[in-house]
Amino acid sequence: MFTRNWKHLCRRYSQAVTFRTSEIYPAQHNENQIGFFYTIKPDLCKQLFNHGGLPKSFMKQTKTFTETAIMVRQPALDVMDCIRASDMNKPVIRYVLYGEKGSGKSLTLAHLLHYALEEGYLILHVPWVSEWLRRTPRHKEMTNSQTKEGFVDLPLDAAEWLLHFKTQNQALLKNCEFKISKDYEWSKREKTEAGSPIAALVEHGINRVKYACDVIDALLLEIKILSNSKQCKTFVAIDGFNSFYYPMTRLNTPTKKKIKPEEVTLTNSFLELTKNDWNNGVVVLTIDQLAVPDENQESFLPRYLLYKKGFEHLDPFVPIEVGRYTDKEFLSCANYYRDRLWLRGPSDLETELKFTSASNPYNFMLQCAPL
Amino acid sequence: MSNVLIFFYRRLKNSSFNSFTRTLSKLQIRNYAKATSFPDYYQNPIFRKEDQVKLIADSDLKNRATVPVKPPTVSETSSVYFDPLVNKVINHVMEKGNKRLARQLVEKAFENIKRKQIERYHLASTPEEKAKIELNPKDILYKAVENCKPLLQLQPIKRGGITYQVPGPITEKRSLFLAIKWLLETTDEKERTVHFPEQFAWELLEASNNTGKVVKRKQDLHRQCEANRAYAHYRWQ
Repeated sequence: MFTRNWKHLCRRYSQAVTFRTSEIYPAQHNENQIGFFYTIKPDLCKQLFNHGGLPKSFMKQTKTFTETAIMVRQPALDVMDCIRASDMNKPVIRYVLYGEKGSGKSLTLAHLLHYALEEGYLILHVPWVSEWLRRTPRHKEMTNSQTKEGFVDLPLDAAEWLLHFKTQNQALLKNCEFKISKDYEWSKREKTEAGSPIAALVEHGINRVKYACDVIDALLLEIKILSNSKQCKTFVAIDGFNSFYYPMTRLNTPTKKKIKPEEVTLTNSFLELTKNDWNNGVVVLTIDQLAVPDENQESFLPRYLLYKKGFEHLDPFVPIEVGRYTDKEFLSCANYYRDRLWLRGPSDLETELKFTSASNPYNFMLQCAPL
Repeated sequence: MSNVLIFFYRRLKNSSFNSFTRTLSKLQIRNYAKATSFPDYYQNPIFRKEDQVKLIADSDLKNRATVPVKPPTVSETSSVYFDPLVNKVINHVMEKGNKRLARQLVEKAFENIKRKQIERYHLASTPEEKAKIELNPKDILYKAVENCKPLLQLQPIKRGGITYQVPGPITEKRSLFLAIKWLLETTDEKERTVHFPEQFAWELLEASNNTGKVVKRKQDLHRQCEANRAYAHYRWQ
C-alpha cells in the first residue's frame, strides 16, 4: 500500500517538468510553453469567471482537480502576438476564434481574458450569448423597451451582466477615474450627471433593473468614447457570437409571438460594440456550433455560422482556427490527467485514447472519465 | 467469469481416409445460455492479444485453425479497457438490448465513483490514509462484487407436505449472478430524483467497504442458512 505513495512521488517529480509551467502571467507565455498547463490563482479565477466564462464541464473538472489549469496553445499565443504587433491608433481589429465542437475555443478565450486582465485592459466579456437568447427557464423576464419602439428588454440578464462587468473590472474602476461625457436622464427624479464616474452608472443599472438595458447602451457608448480619447484600452470578448445572427431566438412575447435577435436591445448594444468605428481596443469573438440548434450545426466555419449579415458586419476580421491537440499537447494533457489522478493504467492507453477521441480535447476528457 | 455450459461432443478428426479414429471428447465452453445461430462445433473467438500470443506460443494454433470460429460481439475488443466483469455488469443493466445506454450509465457511475474517491483522497491528511483510498473504479467494482457474493444458498425442498428452505452449495457463476442482481435491485430502490449512475456509484462504494444494503442482504442469507442448518440432510434423504 505504501508503494503507491512512493510511485506517486516519483511520478510527480519526473512528470512535473513535462506538463506544467510555472509561468503564471500570460503575457510571458511563448512558444516554449506550448502544451504546458499553467494554473490560475483561485481569487483571480473567481474575479474573472464567477458569472460564467469557463464551460460547465470544465468547472466540474476544476472541482475534482482542486485547481484551474489551462493549457498554453498556439491560437492564444497568435492572438497575443497580433495584439502586441497591432497599432492601437487604428480602428479595432476583430479576431474570430472558430473550430469544431470541443476543440478549446472558450478556454482560449479564458486565457486571453487573463492576459487582458494582467495587461490592464478594461474587460467587456459576454460569457455565452445563447444564455440570453436561447436559455428560457419557466418564466423569462422580458419587458418591452421603454426607450426604443418595438424592442424587447432582458432586464435581469442585463443586470447580471453589469454585475459581471463590475466584478471583472473592480481594480480598474477603483483606481482610474473614468468620467461620463453627457447627462443621462432615466426618469423625472433619476439622473446621472456628466462627469460622474462610470462606476456610478453601473451601480445605477444594477440597482434599478428596469433601466439596466439602457444603462448598458450608455455604458458601451461611454467606453467607446473613453477608448477613442485614449483614457483606457478596452478588451471585448464575446463567446458564441453567431447566436446574434441566428434567425430565431427561443424567446416569446406574452402574445406568443417569436422574437428575432435583432429585436432584442442587448443584441444591438453588442453589435454596435463590435463595429470597427472606434480604436484603442481589441475585439475577440468566438463562434460556436453549440450556440445554435442541432439542425443548423452542419459546419463550424465562420461564413456558415455567421450567415451573410454577420459576415458582412464583421468583415474584415482575423480568423483564427482552434484545432485539435497536437501529439505533444495530447501527451502533455494525458500526463496532467495522470498527475491529477483522473487517468490511470499502462501507457498503451494513450495511443488507444488518441485514436478513439481523435485528439479532440473535449472527447478526450469525456473518455477518460470512467477509466 | 462467464456463464459456463459444459458440452461434451464427439468430433471426427480431419484425417486421411484410412485412419479413421475417434477423437477424445472435447470440452466446449459456451458464453451464452441459449442456443445461438452458430452450430455447436464453432469455437469461441479469441480476441485478447495476450490470449492470442499464448496460443501461438503453445502452438495450439494448428488445431484451432481448422475449426470454424464465431465472430466476436461488438463489445469483445482487444482494447486495454476491456474487462469481462464490467461487460457482464453492463449486460445486466441493459434493457431491451439498449447496450449503448447501459454502457453510458455504468461509465457515468464509474465517473461518479472516481470523483468521490478523488475528493476523499484530497481531504485525507496523511499519506497512509491516502494510500488506503482506492481510486480505480474498476477495482472498486471487483471488490464490491466480491463482498456481495453469497457462499451458500437456500433451496426449497418439499418433505411431507412442508417446503423447507435447505442450505446448500452455490456455484461460482450463480454466486456472481446473485451479487450483480442484488446490486442492481438495491439501486432500483432509489428516490425518484436520484439518477441511476449516482445511486449505483453509492451502492458500489458501500459494498466495497463491506457496508450497505447488499452486503446486509448477503449476511442475512448466511444467517438464514446457519439457522436452517438442521435441515441440511434433506438434500440427500
